Amino acid sequence: MTAGELGFSRHGEHTYVANFQEAQRQVLINLAEQIIELLSERTDHASDDPIAAMVGITVHDSPPDDEVLLRLLPDAYADGVDAAEFRRYTESVLRNEKQAHAMSMRAQLKSSEDGSIELEHEGARAWLGTVNDFRLALGVRLKIEKRTHEELERLAPDDPLRGVYLVYSWLGWLQESLLEALMDEDEN
Amino acid sequence: MVQTADKIAEEIQAIFNSDKPWVAIVWDDPVNLMIYVTYVLMKIFGYSRKRATELMLKVHNEGKAVVSTGSREEMERDVARLHKYGLLATLQRSDESL
Repeated sequence: MTAGELGFSRHGEHTYVANFQEAQRQVLINLAEQIIELLSERTDHASDDPIAAMVGITVHDSPPDDEVLLRLLPDAYADGVDAAEFRRYTESVLRNEKQAHAMSMRAQLKSSEDGSIELEHEGARAWLGTVNDFRLALGVRLKIEKRTHEELERLAPDDPLRGVYLVYSWLGWLQESLLEALMDEDEN
Repeated sequence: MVQTADKIAEEIQAIFNSDKPWVAIVWDDPVNLMIYVTYVLMKIFGYSRKRATELMLKVHNEGKAVVSTGSREEMERDVARLHKYGLLATLQRSDESL
């Protein structure tokens, strides 16, 4: 997981390529699976409104109890009543889209046994968002809000959070390589 | 019920104040990379790299920045797109204190 390996680079027009080591591929598949699971139907505060369900309106309008889920599906208004109304009509769309992106990423990784990944422009956008979701999720678990990066750098080798922090750092580096490839192309 | 009555009064007022725009605000968070926030603002709003970078720095330094202005419906759409990319974003009336 050291940042010595190549991340994404641009190959020709609208094509971005990366080669993952087996351990990296497994970490990404594992994270995708956890995000897919997390974004599955919420069971907290579910109410039973068959008519709402029929027209695709999410059956709950309260913010998620889970901190990670709340970060991925945040409130759109400071006001609780407005936030609930907005969530009622939009949360399932956001959840499904994030989940679909994670699923397509997982499928690509699973079918690439040698770890080589080639993305077109739209695929790159999906990866960018999903890698960001991974970082947001790990950031909540690492309590990035409260801990400084210096504190996280100093975690003892046997601290279970140390591994999480290494993955989090690696994902940031991976995301940056993809962003640079994308922005480099936009400017040329 | 009081809240509901307030809500209705607010909606009625909004109809008569429809020229008063709404704003979409992005809030600082410690996880999103600065270059990522810049990229998202460029993609969603079509801002130049310079303009997007200025807004990103305002979010970073001041904790928040108005990134878009328009009708309530437009701002709801913008906030939904910002959430899709994982940015912390809310909308409110432009004359409400930030």
